[in-house]
Amino acid sequence: MTVTDVAYGLPLALALRFGIAVVTGLTAGRRDVARRVAFLGSGVASLITGLTAARVVWSGTPAEGVLFVHQAAGVTLAYSIDGLAAWFLMVLAVVAIPIALFSLGYVGGPHWSRQSVFLGITFNLLVGAIEVVFAASDAVTFLCAWELMTLASAALVATEHQERASRRAAFLYLVMSHIGTGCLIAGFLMLSAWSGSLSFSTILSGVPALGPTRHVLFALFFLGFGVKAGIVPLHIWLPEAHPAAPTSISALMSGVLIKTGVYGIARVCVFGLGVPPLSWGVIVVVVGGLSAVLGVLYALMQHDLKRLLAYHSIENIGIIFLGLGAGMMGMAYGRGDVAAVGVAAGLYHVLNHAVFKGLLFLGAGGVVMATGTRQIEQFGGLLRRMPWTGLFFLVGAMAISGLPPLNGFASEWLTFQAFLFGFRGSGEPLVYLLFPIGGALLALTTALAAACFVKAFGMTFLALPRSRSAAEAGESPMVMLAPQAWLATCCVGLGLFPGFVLRALQAAMVSLPGLQPPADLAQGGLGMASGLESFDHVVPALLGMALVAGLAIAGLLSARRGAAARRVPTWGCGGELTARTEYTATAFSKPLMMIFRGVYRPTRAVEALSDVSTYFTQEVRYRAEIEPTFERYVYGPLVALVLRVAAGMKVLQAGSLHAYLAYVIVMVVSLVLLVWWRS
Amino acid sequence: MTLVIQEALMTAGAALLQAVGLLAVAPLLKTVIKKMKARLQNRQGPPLLQGYYDLAKWFGKEAVRSETASWIYVAGPRVYFAAALAATTLVPVVFAAAPLEAAGGILLLVGTLAFGRFALATAALDTGSPFGGMGASRDMTIAALAEPALMLGLFASALAAGSMNLGVLIRTLLQGGIALHPSDMLAFAGLFMIVVAETGRIPVDNPATHLELTMIHEAMVLEYAGPDLALVEWASAVKELLYLTLLAGLFMPVGMATTTAPAALLVGFLAWTGKVFALAIAVTLVESTNAKLRLFRVPELVAISLGLAFLALAIRFL
Repeated sequence: MTVTDVAYGLPLALALRFGIAVVTGLTAGRRDVARRVAFLGSGVASLITGLTAARVVWSGTPAEGVLFVHQAAGVTLAYSIDGLAAWFLMVLAVVAIPIALFSLGYVGGPHWSRQSVFLGITFNLLVGAIEVVFAASDAVTFLCAWELMTLASAALVATEHQERASRRAAFLYLVMSHIGTGCLIAGFLMLSAWSGSLSFSTILSGVPALGPTRHVLFALFFLGFGVKAGIVPLHIWLPEAHPAAPTSISALMSGVLIKTGVYGIARVCVFGLGVPPLSWGVIVVVVGGLSAVLGVLYALMQHDLKRLLAYHSIENIGIIFLGLGAGMMGMAYGRGDVAAVGVAAGLYHVLNHAVFKGLLFLGAGGVVMATGTRQIEQFGGLLRRMPWTGLFFLVGAMAISGLPPLNGFASEWLTFQAFLFGFRGSGEPLVYLLFPIGGALLALTTALAAACFVKAFGMTFLALPRSRSAAEAGESPMVMLAPQAWLATCCVGLGLFPGFVLRALQAAMVSLPGLQPPADLAQGGLGMASGLESFDHVVPALLGMALVAGLAIAGLLSARRGAAARRVPTWGCGGELTARTEYTATAFSKPLMMIFRGVYRPTRAVEALSDVSTYFTQEVRYRAEIEPTFERYVYGPLVALVLRVAAGMKVLQAGSLHAYLAYVIVMVVSLVLLVWWRS
Repeated sequence: MTLVIQEALMTAGAALLQAVGLLAVAPLLKTVIKKMKARLQNRQGPPLLQGYYDLAKWFGKEAVRSETASWIYVAGPRVYFAAALAATTLVPVVFAAAPLEAAGGILLLVGTLAFGRFALATAALDTGSPFGGMGASRDMTIAALAEPALMLGLFASALAAGSMNLGVLIRTLLQGGIALHPSDMLAFAGLFMIVVAETGRIPVDNPATHLELTMIHEAMVLEYAGPDLALVEWASAVKELLYLTLLAGLFMPVGMATTTAPAALLVGFLAWTGKVFALAIAVTLVESTNAKLRLFRVPELVAISLGLAFLALAIRFL
């Protein structure tokens, strides 16, 4: 055993993070130093865990060990990095390193620099907690890390606690998270009570969960992890909490933190409770489809750039669930190949979403820092002022829209395969219907996402600036651009080399039960195919070459010798063209709002103000909003119920000491009677 | 090794040949439809080569661009053109195999066309003209609605043949002989409606108007002039030809060449010409006998198409 042994990786990284937190706290007087120590150190620690995880995938042998032992209390916190955990740890490292680097510049900006020490320490705490969540090998370790992760991220959401909206967001996040954690604790307690163990290797082997109770377990874990993943209808905290946090934290939350929910569902619901019955797969697919479509539909109506991105996280979690659900249905049918394709599609999209959503959030962070606002309607023309940010954001926008040959296309292609391929191998009418419907929903989601990102990119970066701050914005510093460049490169690379990604994925999936990846899933480094009888295959790089050739032909055709393009003003319909005559983001998404008005239930109010006569209008006020369906009809009555019950319980706790003493006496007497009766 | 290089060169050559071929024919298709439409209205119509004259005229002009536009505005038409051209290499035309069959199948084709659309719609927002925004918004809206119907229609025929790769799919159909299943007709009807929507034809869009309240595609490209406009128009024509070719191949693959013998290729070429012409007549008839729908009636049309595709799947597999 040498120092470079994989077993040392995680403890080393965690120790490093602890040291960083201490040093950051000690250097609190000098913010610059504290910030550098915290974020550069965090990058190094993430690199260590990333390399450890890569070695686990590469070698195929899990890294196991113990983090903490307390002999007297009999508590042992153990970890085990197997293939699945290693995959998520790699995803974390790919995104957390650039985010840490970005934070170096971002937190150094005027808005956040006063909070440098707090952000530095909490960021390390959060990343460390996520690492332990992925690596934990027993329920206690897992739940401790899970809770630490929730608290650290809630603290980060409340960074701007002087603002009411941030406090509300943090509160909502805490409440929802704890409902989820409650479900998880109940689930793990049931499992350990039956098996007498806390170790994942025992309780998640599928043995203790037998009979009808496993449906209860599935429900508990699906709810518990679903809250964190942000699936509809448990998503309401997500579009509040993600935008409220500093942008680099939003990137981490959207990119990786919500994936802990996906990890949990994969670990427990897909592989931990025995072979999933068909109904579970159906539930996951339906919830995934609902999340995907509703997520993107709500995103279309957002005009706050960060909220828009947050809603897209819900959409992408939906896509991941579609893949996982198709995989679960494959497992239920005993079709290991369909299951493998579906699970691989989900896990591939986990990586891709982390990369492009991280990129988009970092770009949004640069824009927000440069303009001081998050409103898309206040942006415009930023491509001239921030050319690099604009370019990277465009790459991210194309990737999330599922355009080939970028990475979003690759994983969505694989998800389609899981559905179409699954269709062929199944024998029940329900499944016949569900598979193509899932495919159609995925197609709708992708196309709506493209529409949304034409809007998000176009309104932010193109045409004329719509506000003074947009006209005077400046490009982000190098330290913030370099991480975006890296993530943009990943978007292209992960799209052009799906074969390599699938190789790594297959290695990571080896230890998972019930999967038989088709032999030709990965074709060389460049291509992938979906098994049986070469149903379909894709080599995005070939298309990339065709596109480059097409561009060359277009260039040749339109090139005129020595003639530069003449620049003239845009025709302003006879008037002067200003930013006020431009199409707005609201107008852009209006047709979709009209078409899907059944979902949005929009209300609008137009008010014309006039002094003298109604024919001489001074001012027109226009208000339009969409109905927050889930908040109003699901959570509204729920909150009202809780408040009513609480009000009813006030009678019990009215502040009278005599009454409390009476309760104690009644309790003691009844316990005594119970014991006496039982014996 | 030399064999591999030789093969790669052959593939590249075939791809280039097909792309250039479709590029050469596409303007003719547009004019033929215009001409037939004119005849139905008792007008003379443009000369058959008008499409080429227009392109030559636009290419000969200087490029005029908006002061407010950035490089995105320049890149838009070029990417749109490149995507249309790349898409041509993914579809079998005369020969029952696509030149770049190795690259991927239906999903890649749809993705490539979406790529071009994304580029053009983004570029349309760059000048600051309200028309560009209006056109981009409407185009992306209709595309978003059409996408699931398009996919479902393609799935219906692909799943029946057991492959999502267009080349394999069409060869399977050819081997099976002509056996028109009722689901094919439903899928065809559904896809035909989507093709009408995607190519900007009546009743979804009117390619002949510049009336601001109704235009979709034309509004999106209103600011373009000269060589930029030529690229956009040419790519749109190629896209239309491609969609008709795809319909012909999926539902009437008869006559496509399976060997490289000159006679087979000739038959394949004639069959392709005939089928595309027949579909062009259908498009013309639909254009001439229908009124343009209001934008907010288009979803109903798409819903019908979606329903047809779903029924096609249902009666084939239930």
